[in-house]
Amino acid sequence: MTFWETVGLVALTALKSLVLLSALLVFIAYALLADRKIWAAVQLRRGPNVVGPFGLFQSFADLIKFVIKEPVIPAGANKAIFLLAPMVFATLALASWAVIPLADGWAIADINVGITYIFAISSLGVYGVIMGGWASNSKYAFLGALRSAAQMISYEVSLGFVIICVLLCAGSLNLSRIVMAQDTSLGLFGWYWFWLFPMFVVFFISALAETNRPPFDLPEAESELVAGYMVEYSSTPYLLFMLGEYVAIMTMCALGTVLFLGGWLSPIPFAPFTWVPGLIWFALKASFLFFMIAMVKAMVPRYRYDQLMRLGWKVFLPLSLVSVVVVAFVLKLTGLAPGA
Amino acid sequence: MKLDQVARGLLLREFVSGFILAMKYFFKPKATINYPFEMGHRGPRFRGEHALRRYPNGEERCIACKLCEAICPAQAITIEAGPRRNDGTRRTTRYDIDMVKCIYCGMCQEACPVDAIVEGPNSEFSVETREELLYDKQKLLDNGDRWEREIARNIAIDAPYR
Amino acid sequence: MTKLLVDGTEVDVPADFTLLQACEVAGAEIPRFCFHERLSIAGNCRMCLVELKGAPKPVASCAYAVKDCRPGPNGEPPEVLTRSGLTKKAREGVMEFLLINHPLDCPICDQGGHCDLQDQAMAYGVDSTRYKENKRAVEEKYIGPLVRTAMNRCIHCTRCVRFLAEVAGVPDLGAIGRGEDMEITSYLENAMGSELQGNVADLCPVGALVPKPQSYNNRPWELTKTDSIDVMDAVGSAIRVDVRGREVMQISPRVNEEINEEWISDKTRQIVDGLRMQRLDRPFVRENGRLRPASWGEAFAAIAAKVKGADPKKIGAVVGDLAGVEEIFALKELMGSLGTANTDCRQGGEKIDPAWGRAAYTFNPTIPGIEEADAILLVGTNPRLEASLLNVRIRKRWRMAPLAVGLIGEEVDLTYPHLYLGAGAETLSELAAGKHSFAETLSKAERPLVIVGSAALSRADGAAVLAAAAGLAKSVGAVKPEWNGFAVLHSAAARVGALDLGFVPGEGGLDFAGITAPGALDVVFNLGSDEVDVGAGAFVIYQGTHGDRGAMRADVILPGAAYTEKSATYVNTEGRVQMTNRAGFPPGDAREDWAILRALSDVLGHKLPFDSLGALRRALYAAHPHLAGIDAIEAADVVKAVDALAGLGGSLGKEAFGPAFADFFMTNPIARASRVMAECSSVAHGRTLQAAE
Repeated sequence: MTFWETVGLVALTALKSLVLLSALLVFIAYALLADRKIWAAVQLRRGPNVVGPFGLFQSFADLIKFVIKEPVIPAGANKAIFLLAPMVFATLALASWAVIPLADGWAIADINVGITYIFAISSLGVYGVIMGGWASNSKYAFLGALRSAAQMISYEVSLGFVIICVLLCAGSLNLSRIVMAQDTSLGLFGWYWFWLFPMFVVFFISALAETNRPPFDLPEAESELVAGYMVEYSSTPYLLFMLGEYVAIMTMCALGTVLFLGGWLSPIPFAPFTWVPGLIWFALKASFLFFMIAMVKAMVPRYRYDQLMRLGWKVFLPLSLVSVVVVAFVLKLTGLAPGA
Repeated sequence: MKLDQVARGLLLREFVSGFILAMKYFFKPKATINYPFEMGHRGPRFRGEHALRRYPNGEERCIACKLCEAICPAQAITIEAGPRRNDGTRRTTRYDIDMVKCIYCGMCQEACPVDAIVEGPNSEFSVETREELLYDKQKLLDNGDRWEREIARNIAIDAPYR
Repeated sequence: MTKLLVDGTEVDVPADFTLLQACEVAGAEIPRFCFHERLSIAGNCRMCLVELKGAPKPVASCAYAVKDCRPGPNGEPPEVLTRSGLTKKAREGVMEFLLINHPLDCPICDQGGHCDLQDQAMAYGVDSTRYKENKRAVEEKYIGPLVRTAMNRCIHCTRCVRFLAEVAGVPDLGAIGRGEDMEITSYLENAMGSELQGNVADLCPVGALVPKPQSYNNRPWELTKTDSIDVMDAVGSAIRVDVRGREVMQISPRVNEEINEEWISDKTRQIVDGLRMQRLDRPFVRENGRLRPASWGEAFAAIAAKVKGADPKKIGAVVGDLAGVEEIFALKELMGSLGTANTDCRQGGEKIDPAWGRAAYTFNPTIPGIEEADAILLVGTNPRLEASLLNVRIRKRWRMAPLAVGLIGEEVDLTYPHLYLGAGAETLSELAAGKHSFAETLSKAERPLVIVGSAALSRADGAAVLAAAAGLAKSVGAVKPEWNGFAVLHSAAARVGALDLGFVPGEGGLDFAGITAPGALDVVFNLGSDEVDVGAGAFVIYQGTHGDRGAMRADVILPGAAYTEKSATYVNTEGRVQMTNRAGFPPGDAREDWAILRALSDVLGHKLPFDSLGALRRALYAAHPHLAGIDAIEAADVVKAVDALAGLGGSLGKEAFGPAFADFFMTNPIARASRVMAECSSVAHGRTLQAAE
């Protein structure tokens, strides 16, 4: 590769990242609005409806508000880490999207260890939370951060086993390959959500816990910890935390789509449905998962912390562990294992 | 833990029933109204922003008897009185209501012997500074002029029950 | 004593009591409008009706004497029922009649909230009216600058008429017409001519007569009430100062049987607006001939710069008419530590020396004692203006039984008949020589009383006048162990207190005229003296409350507190020690006077040994024990003092005795700042001019 080829590649990648980021952020802006609207609808409210038609510009108004507000830094806070934490959190959350295939071949970096990369990056996100909680020099923030760390680590274990189940079936760590592995003549019933249904459920619930969504939003439990690790944050740093959180949620939705819902594949495997661009299918599936996540927020009351830990360690861990064994046995015995 | 309980848990029965319930509510008509564009019903006894009324001939009703000031449980009303310059009648030289102190209990309009101070139907008087909520006589009289039609109608509707 | 059954309670009351008084002794409450303890009985409101067993119909208890009640058939004591059905019905009926023509304008009535009719209608009236016809309408009357009328509200109790005729002695109000057409009027729309006219507004049980200057500006429930003492004259009437926020709204009388009963003069009552106007609210320093606002520090520094370089012999201090004992004491201590003897409090130039004994400058018989006198000689005084309430006592004494009153000085209307003896001091000599028929009256009297006014003592021959009066008192037997008939009547509230403290020139010190003479001294400290100008040349430090003459002349002004703004001791003309209470705070940077002097003393390097008012009072009481007896008069040895005075001798001048002050309504800085007083003054002068035409 010549020097200019390298430069061209870097420029192209940068351009692709930029396009992806812009699209993602706009998508998240409306996901956020949808989150609020769905929540409101279940509670017989209208939700934000003043900024723009049907409140469509609400998220942009919020963005402007957050950006022009004064960032308050507590006197006792470690200033550098305090400001670094939200940046770390948001950057890491966005970094995951580098490997996600939005359609066939539409990934910025279609690397072979994509799933491991996502897993590693999302685990790093907890550092942003811990840094923010510690640097705030506040009891509430610190407690919230510790809860968050414990919670994320606990659920990553079962999440890992769930992913292993999928990997056993797909036979690859490359996310595009995982999607392709689900491309059968059975259409949506050929996807892993059907074959690995219990694992899909565990994945969904673990995703909620991993992203601090209700009913597992204990780190920010406003009734006891005020706002958890974000209690001292305001203005743009707060915005970055919120953004990171929603990017992480969208990451989980995308991951769920890739692992269980057949990525960009059409649910009905013949024309005219296959003419629809894969990106549309991907977006629809991710949106469906997000809708479910939003509905859970509206439906389920918050867990107690010991219940959360019990669920993670005493239910999901054995369940997923057993599943890995069962899946492996079934694949081996039926000879369906890829590459066998 | 019983087996059926486990089975139910695995099959997400509660989640599904909860989801169905939530979806039912999702499509129900909204209980809230589209507030800034449509208003809820306000009864004739609604106790909103204060106003000082005038007689149809333009004469202010208030006679500075200070009963509202005396009865105000929040001590939000301050009145200074004196003979009016041109005709020597008893009038307020100062009639201030601290809308921040006010608890909107309606005692002032109950106490008023001439229906001068009333709590009108207006509830939209938010302002940007605290000082704007310290109402003086002119502001209250202006309110009275602005809302007189509604106020008079409400008083007429409520009259049989007073 | 007569036995009586009131609602089943047996009481034993003197036979000359009325039924109303007997019922009150028994603890029964009787509503009334026209009855007043200090006025004659009219019996025209009928509100006090009670059931008397054996009487054919309810009787007006205020006008029915206990001795007129007949005992029962078997000699049982007469029985009065104040809570029976008949009484209740009678009261309801009377109330209904009264309300027939009383307008329903309580919300705009100044009496609302302290109205007898309102209260009694609530307590004894019925809740609705049966009267459908129009109420009567009565024209408003002009009866003077102090009382506003709303004659629709009048219920014809005639308290105002009786007060002016009986207590004030100026029968300017009367009732014309009968029945529904009855009206209270001053006949020709004249202002009332009494200096006590403000009291009719207090007496009025409804809102027909209300204080005009306070028109509409307060309600009784928003006032904070503080009991205090008046300083407008040397009588020291008991007053109540009503304050809203930090502003004095009105002054009303308080009952003190020893001094003012329950009246106060118009100046006492309506000085209120003077307490707000032209106040000194920050220190001033004169620079290049102009006064400029300054801080306390600058003012003190300016004073220190002058005083530190001055010869003690060239420093002096004077005290005005309104200063309290505390600040005079503090000033005296300060001047003592500076080593100056030039101190004086006798602003009018009275020739009085505290060394002659306290009885030589006080009103020895006391004010209630006037009621025991049987002949009175007034020397160079007009008590009606100088001490209105003392004059009320003399009039009260005259109404009890015929009283011979002789007057030497200006011929004035004293509201009671008197014998005008002459204008000047020579009349006094004639009396002493027995040449005048009044001398015989005085000698024959058992308890003659000689009252010497401050104006008579302020003349160059003041000491001689005092000596002559004392000699006369002695010769007519006015001074006996059981009767002290020698009295000096002051017109300034601060005077007796200052004399008690000995605030007079020390050894070789200059007196008031000497201190204020042009070029006499380098530094003059002026504590509230506004009636005498300090002459040119001196650096004048004025401490006072108002921007009056004293402040205009001053080089440094220290703003002090008026009498309603501090707790201060005043000694009245009787020598009675009384204390004012603080009703509000002084305006702006102004401070209590003793505290100013204490702070100044620190800057001058002669720190006064008291840090609080309590400590000051302890020092004061240690030095002058009699000042600790609040509301008490320390007995003085009058016989010795009068003997000493009589021995002074001196030659009497020829000129006539003048008035103590030119204008009753303009005697002090507070009064001069008051618009109401100015109006009263012009009304009074208009009246005088009319009379002269």
